[in-house]
Amino acid sequence: MSRLYGDPIEVWTREGQPTQFVWRDRLYLVRRVLDHWVVAREWWKTTEGDPGERRFWRIEASPGREVGSYELRFDSASGGWLLMRSWD
Amino acid sequence: MAGFPHLHVASAYSMRYGTAFPQALVRRAAEHGMDILALTDRDGLYGAIKHAQSCADAGIRPVFGVDFALAPSASRDPASRAPASREARPRTGPDAEDRVTVLARSGGWSRLARLVTAAHHSGARGEPRVTRELVGSWSGAAGSDGFGERDGLVVLLGPRSDVGRAVAARRDEQAGALLNRWRSLVPGVVIELVDQYGYRDAITAVRMLALAEAAGVPAVLTNAARYLDPADHQVGDVLDAARQLVPLHPRHLERSTSHAYLKSGEEMGQVAYKVCGGDERRVGRLLHTTRRLAEACAVDPLELLPLRGPEPHNLHLPEIGGDPVPLLRHRVLDGLHERGLDRDEHARTRLEEELRIIERKRLSGYFVAVAGITDMIRQMGVRCAIRGSGAGSLVNYLLRIGEVNPLDHGLLMERFLSEGRIGLPDIDVDVESARRLDCYKAIYDRYGEARVACVSMMETYRARSAIRDVGGAMGLPPHEIDAIAKAFPHIRARQITASLSDLPELRESRLGDGGLERVFRLAEKLDGLPRHIALHPCGVLIGNSALRDRTPVERSLLEFPMSQFDKDDVEEAGLLKLDVLGVRMQSAMAYTLGEIRRVDDLEVELDSVPHDDQDTYDMICASRTLGCFQIESPGQRELVAKLEPRTMHDLIVDISLFRPGPVNSDMVTPYLEARHGWRQPYYPHERLRGALKETHGVVVFHEQVLKVIEVMTGRTLSFAERMRRTLATAEGREKVKSWFEPLALDNGFDERTVRKAWKVLDAFGAFGFCKAHAAAFALPTYQSAWLKRHHTAAFFAGVLTHEPGMYPQRVIIDEARQCGVEILPLDINRSGREWRVERVGPALSVRVRPEDLLEPGAETPARRVREFRAGELGRGYALRVPFSGVKGVSEAEVERMVAGQPYTSLADFWDRARPSRPIMERIVQVGGLDAVHGLRPGGPRWRPGELTRRDLIAQVGVLERASATGVKGGAGRKKGYVPNQRDAPARQAVQLPLGFAERIEPGELPEMTETEMVEAELEILGIDVSRHVISFHDELLDAIGVVRSSELLDQRNGAEILVAGVKVATQTPAVRSGQRVIFTTLDDSTGPVDLTFFESVQGRCAATVFGSWLMVARGVIRRTGSRAVSMRAVDCWNLVDLDAAWRSGGLAAVRALLDRVPQPDQAVGGRQIEYANGFRLSPYADIGPAPGVVDPPRRLWHASQGSSGPAAA
Repeated sequence: MSRLYGDPIEVWTREGQPTQFVWRDRLYLVRRVLDHWVVAREWWKTTEGDPGERRFWRIEASPGREVGSYELRFDSASGGWLLMRSWD
Repeated sequence: MAGFPHLHVASAYSMRYGTAFPQALVRRAAEHGMDILALTDRDGLYGAIKHAQSCADAGIRPVFGVDFALAPSASRDPASRAPASREARPRTGPDAEDRVTVLARSGGWSRLARLVTAAHHSGARGEPRVTRELVGSWSGAAGSDGFGERDGLVVLLGPRSDVGRAVAARRDEQAGALLNRWRSLVPGVVIELVDQYGYRDAITAVRMLALAEAAGVPAVLTNAARYLDPADHQVGDVLDAARQLVPLHPRHLERSTSHAYLKSGEEMGQVAYKVCGGDERRVGRLLHTTRRLAEACAVDPLELLPLRGPEPHNLHLPEIGGDPVPLLRHRVLDGLHERGLDRDEHARTRLEEELRIIERKRLSGYFVAVAGITDMIRQMGVRCAIRGSGAGSLVNYLLRIGEVNPLDHGLLMERFLSEGRIGLPDIDVDVESARRLDCYKAIYDRYGEARVACVSMMETYRARSAIRDVGGAMGLPPHEIDAIAKAFPHIRARQITASLSDLPELRESRLGDGGLERVFRLAEKLDGLPRHIALHPCGVLIGNSALRDRTPVERSLLEFPMSQFDKDDVEEAGLLKLDVLGVRMQSAMAYTLGEIRRVDDLEVELDSVPHDDQDTYDMICASRTLGCFQIESPGQRELVAKLEPRTMHDLIVDISLFRPGPVNSDMVTPYLEARHGWRQPYYPHERLRGALKETHGVVVFHEQVLKVIEVMTGRTLSFAERMRRTLATAEGREKVKSWFEPLALDNGFDERTVRKAWKVLDAFGAFGFCKAHAAAFALPTYQSAWLKRHHTAAFFAGVLTHEPGMYPQRVIIDEARQCGVEILPLDINRSGREWRVERVGPALSVRVRPEDLLEPGAETPARRVREFRAGELGRGYALRVPFSGVKGVSEAEVERMVAGQPYTSLADFWDRARPSRPIMERIVQVGGLDAVHGLRPGGPRWRPGELTRRDLIAQVGVLERASATGVKGGAGRKKGYVPNQRDAPARQAVQLPLGFAERIEPGELPEMTETEMVEAELEILGIDVSRHVISFHDELLDAIGVVRSSELLDQRNGAEILVAGVKVATQTPAVRSGQRVIFTTLDDSTGPVDLTFFESVQGRCAATVFGSWLMVARGVIRRTGSRAVSMRAVDCWNLVDLDAAWRSGGLAAVRALLDRVPQPDQAVGGRQIEYANGFRLSPYADIGPAPGVVDPPRRLWHASQGSSGPAAA
């Protein structure tokens, strides 16, 4: 079962890849990247410049001992990260 | 590892898909330290030669491949009968078709080329498709390394292939079956893994790798690159939309993310790591297999570029059946006798020299083949003339490929073919444009399709096409797109934004403030990208049966086989071609000869007309050259009047001088001064006199540059030709200087002479004109002038029919009138398919020469010119408007109209010629039945009892209602007639005799006025036959004191006058000062008025010049010779506006408009392009025809005098 969140989070990265993040006051360590993809924005609908792209990571991460799957999204135009989904 | 080899790369030659040119891709690969790079364009090898060239320059080994669309599989194929294939495919987007990439092994080029050709011939034109079986039939035998035999093909099955799609859809069993099918047909099958970071890309790649490992098939990694940089993906999206003719929407796009660019080896390593799930061993194996395949496919680029190798080059020579060397020798010796040159020692030595070079380059067969083709063309009765540097070769003259004797004009062969010259000789012939395709067909029939192919050319994005495609992608309404695109002149796409502020006519349009910035910005990014492939206008490859091993061939629009290489590629690939160019003037002259034969029963042998006819030169010197080849433009009319040509050589000089180079570097003035003896000719050294004497010390021809270098350095002409080619660039000139000066000093010239000689070369070397070109041009120029002088009416009939020149028909018609030729209206009993000559009255002996009137002895050339009377030229002849001139008439209708002549009445014509109703009405409106029915339009409008044109138009309606057999006017615009229910019974009646139909009383409807007649003529024929349009404005023009063209010669220098007329030509050529200058020609019924608008006045004039049809202009007279006048425009107005002001406010209102004080205005912007020798060029110069109004408006003036016009008939 996955749940949708869309919460803004703080993420630490190395070479563009997320290594750890804080969600709801807990620190999660990224154990493994399951998948990573990029979605281009519909740039022709916006009025100015390049709206950038959204980079998705599906990862395994753990706040403590139990490991869960999470989907993170990075918006290259705003520079902000969201936690999109989690799987129990 | 020597860098990652990209094996799937699309360049801009994947039309409307790729965004980067091969050169840029290769340069980037070299920056990344890669040693192998593939080019796998979609559907063809369009960019292959350019890729090979770039790779050779960068020291990279190329791989060649093609990305093919897979034809939907046949239903008997068990593997594809899986659920997926039954699902409906989307029409657009990445799922619309399956694609596979086919790579050539190192020795597999021929098979790849043949596969491309086969793919293009299997599907619809422009939609090449392959099947597994087709690929299998060309892929070669099984080899030892898992990629098939060395000369075979390798298929890459990527995520877009049928196998990849099955994997992505998790139908593993189907995927395995499809893969097995491929393997059973093709020895070299490879799984291609691609991860462009799209949604699910990685998962599909992982599963495909697993499939490959399970099936024991090699797997390689590519990036399916289509961009150079990540940022190019917006352009890619626009191209996706433009290619599929849809607006931008995610559904339609290829979904290639910004990651589909040419990544570095390091970045590809990351992709490999991701695809292999971090398994280092698998990563190593994947990259190793990729490298192994790359090595198996890499070739030496020079294999495709024979001209870069050592001589003699590995050329692709035509088959002529037999040993070409003795055959050619035999034929030229025959030629020596036939041309009467067998005793000419000079000719013999020259011939020996030419043959030596031809034989050393092994080109004998080419000359024999070309001679065979020109003979064949002439036997078909098609006029054929040599053009270009080929005219400089004696061999061509002796083989009768050309009719120009190079020895007569001092032409050199070295300009055409020389020892040191890299590149292939290129023989160009001009044929009648109307029969060019017949010539092509004959060539195919003779040599067979396998040995001949046309050359192609890439149409690239320019401003208008880019705006159209981007506008479409952005979803703008079509009519808006059309209006925006047409507002721009034919500039480059990248000039769009700059031109909005630079050009006054665009500034005034306010397009820049329309919220279209994004459209313009994207359109600029398409600049120069290939858009579609088209048939080159003239190139024909002549080869042997192995031609299609060298070049892929596809079908052109007219179903001619067409090479995918353009003219530069063809030469680099060592293929020989012949240029067969369709020239309208040749068609016009052929038509002229036919009319002379028909009307005067005279057979004219145009090629044997003597070249010293002074009557012809009198006419040229008098500047009456409208309609003649090459010398009819305003600039040429001025130049011939000043140069006063009297011999063929003078014409050759004239044509050479009238080029941007000579005009810009001001070679014209010193030449004219020396020619007329106003100045001593200047020679840097006595020994150069021989080379420069023919042009009075001015360097005009390339041949003279060669001779100067030869004399000064003491080296051969071949060496000189190589030097001359280097003179074209600034760096080249520096280089040549460093060779030239020491050589000349060693050769015994003193330093001052060397410096002076160098100055001459430096100034003129780059700009001279090839004399052989000019000599080849001068012949048809003279011939056309001769025909105009001696067979005036027939000549104009040819020119009007084939329209070879720059001017619209009305100018030619006006010139014909001034030459004494009558113009007769359309007549159903006398008009033909094309313009026909008619005799009016008995044949007169033409009395144009003054000596016919004066006592002999009093004549001098100057006097002959001064007293030249053009009005007598065509006396006794008339031209008849043809049926084909009627707007909208179809070929079949014209055919029937001509076949049915003579006719006795409207009803007879309607019955037998069966025109559609709108065509019938148009013919009546322009007077086609006046003669049959004795109508006399003009004069009083109401004439009871007398038949009028309007009565006849009403009759047409009656006839149509009465006969169901009449051919209905399909899409034509019907005037006022709407079929209704009441008509239904009448329409069913077949062949109701006219007498029983509705009766039209003669004179019931008013006759057309003269205004209405001219309006109808302009609308229907596009020309005013009965009266010149400008004559309606005579009263106004006289009131404001407009000067007529015929009176211009009486004006004093510097006078400021008003002129008026119909705008007939607008040009913006390259001129010396680096300005954009607009040259406009007005026609005022007494002759042409040539105006020049400089940048200083364009701010207020440009919009009017481009936007009006009838114009009044104020200009300053400049006298440039006894017969030459030009005008610098100061201001201009639309005559229609002045006319409106006159009607509403009288003369005072017009004066107010004319007396407006010019506001200081912003002129034309844009940075000039400056050349090292001070030659500057406007960025907007010479951009093809300028935009603007070229057709007459529907109404001649705002309110026509008390009539509702012909439409109300």
